[in-house]
Amino acid sequence: MIRVEGLTKFYGSVPAIEDISFRVERGEILGFLGPNGAGKSTTMRILTGFMPPTSGSAWVADMNVAERPLEVKRSIGYMPESNPLYLDMTVTAYLGYMVSLKGVAGAARRDAVARVVGSCGLESVASRLIGHLSKGYRQRVGLAQSLVSDPPVLILDEPTSGLDPAQIIEIRNLIRSLKGSRTIILSTHILPEVSLVCDRVVVIHQGRVAFEGALDSLATSVKEDDVLRVSAIGSAEALQGRLSAVPGVRQVRRTGASNGEVHFEVRAERGREVRPALAAAVPAASGQLTELRRERLTLEDLFVRIVSGERKHEGEAAHV
Amino acid sequence: MCSVWLICKRELASFFFSPVAYVVLAAWAFLMGIFFSGSFFNYALISMQLARNPQAAAQMNITPTSAVLEPVFASVSVVLLFLTPILTMRLFSEEKKLGTIELLLTYPLRDGHLLAGKFLSVLLLYLMMLALTLIYPVIVGLHATVEWGVVASAYLGVFLLGSAFLSVGVMASSWTSNQIIAATAAFMILLLSFILDFMAASVGADLAAVLRHLSIGLHLRNAIRGVIDTRDVIYLLNINILCLFLAMRSLEYYRWRA
Ligand SMILES: Nc1ncnc2c1ncn2[C@@H]1O[C@H](COP(=O)(O)OP(=O)(O)OP(=O)(O)O)[C@@H](O)[C@H]1O
Ligand SMILES: [Mg+2]
Repeated sequence: MIRVEGLTKFYGSVPAIEDISFRVERGEILGFLGPNGAGKSTTMRILTGFMPPTSGSAWVADMNVAERPLEVKRSIGYMPESNPLYLDMTVTAYLGYMVSLKGVAGAARRDAVARVVGSCGLESVASRLIGHLSKGYRQRVGLAQSLVSDPPVLILDEPTSGLDPAQIIEIRNLIRSLKGSRTIILSTHILPEVSLVCDRVVVIHQGRVAFEGALDSLATSVKEDDVLRVSAIGSAEALQGRLSAVPGVRQVRRTGASNGEVHFEVRAERGREVRPALAAAVPAASGQLTELRRERLTLEDLFVRIVSGERKHEGEAAHV
Repeated sequence: MCSVWLICKRELASFFFSPVAYVVLAAWAFLMGIFFSGSFFNYALISMQLARNPQAAAQMNITPTSAVLEPVFASVSVVLLFLTPILTMRLFSEEKKLGTIELLLTYPLRDGHLLAGKFLSVLLLYLMMLALTLIYPVIVGLHATVEWGVVASAYLGVFLLGSAFLSVGVMASSWTSNQIIAATAAFMILLLSFILDFMAASVGADLAAVLRHLSIGLHLRNAIRGVIDTRDVIYLLNINILCLFLAMRSLEYYRWRA
């Protein structure tokens, strides 16, 4: 449904994105992640036909954006990052205007506006001026704008930024309710949102794709040891010796002690189950186990690992 | 074509939503009223004096149209110099400031339609302003005979002149997201084209002819005397075409730079 091949965009002589490629299948919700300035908005602006890429091509709804811009634009609903709105129009007038610019007129126009006013929870403010609305309601109006022409493709640039938690959940549910019928690309900095809403993610970093795939494979893509926390009462030296001898354990580090209890950080081979062996190792050192748990990498951790992993590679490259 | 009209309608609604519209309309009505009443009383004075001296009157060949309406039309260009940049300044600058231009440019619209809709909106406003001034020839017509052919020619000239001014303003507005800068740029360009006329006095004959031809204001002179010169018409239309073309390029450039 959406295909991006080798997209590169220079602002002046500075590259914002370089050689970005990915695809989105019909009915899929793609999470678009990356730190500030990674090039997410730039990629989205190229997809919507707002600006041309320096090189590379993009297909939206199976049409080349550069070759058939008007058809592509008709099949896209776009919500820019800054959520621009005409502040001097009422909500219904604005939505009516925008949908008629997409070629919807007459009764169909009225129905379309009524439909999104309902689905975006705008009934109570429908006849108010947009300039008088709160940020959250403006965000909904922006989202309603992208939905009003019932487009098969939605491109949403940080649709939940600046909302309170309750509204974030509402908007998120709204986006989720669109699942299946539409192909959606959604950029966000709120990582839990990705796991709740998206089927797949593309992480871009410094203008390049750092990761593309399902969320579960994001975890396995991080090539790093598992981290476990072990606390026990007993002799620190004996415990450390026994724990280090467990097969699969790479490193044992003492992180502290309190009231006769010693705390260790254990690094083990990724994906290998070492907990039963660790638990058995403590009595073998005549200690008593008080705590044993595996540190879970949160989505944030994974994200930071991917991003900083890239940096590490670049650093190495620079040394050579 | 339908989208041109949609954009034009929104611009008009937005224009009348802001106080700027009313300030411009009030200034226009006020200034034109002053010019008209000034030349009207002036004419009344002269004709009273001439009534006592029929010989001189026969020589001077003063008609109500040439004495009352001509000065009014002649002053229009100065008023427009100040007012048209205010009419046009927000057209693109505001969209750029709000960021809505990004949205519009991702809608299935041609740049030409967007531009045409915006230009049409200020053109319609200007026609409305001109319509308000029709009252002056009518007032003169109540008391004296008006040469309606001359009046029609003058209106055509004033319309073309105003549309050229507006196209300069549209172009300036497409350059910047700052309305003040857009208005100032348009004003400076228009002012420069007025000054060309004065500069012509101090240069050689060949250059002076070119400068005079380029001076926007001078192209109204024939029309308000009832002479429609195709060179004037073509000149003013060319200004429209040039400015709108440049505005179009500036939109394209904006996409590339974004
Ligand atoms: N109009 C512009 N002119 C010059 N450089 C720009 C322009 N817009 C963006 N950039 C640069 O391009 C890079 C990518 O910007 P982009 O807005 O795409 O990032 P982003 O991933 O959307 O970031 P964020 O998460 O902060 O929204 C940045 O380094 C930015 O400084
Ligand atoms: Mg962004």
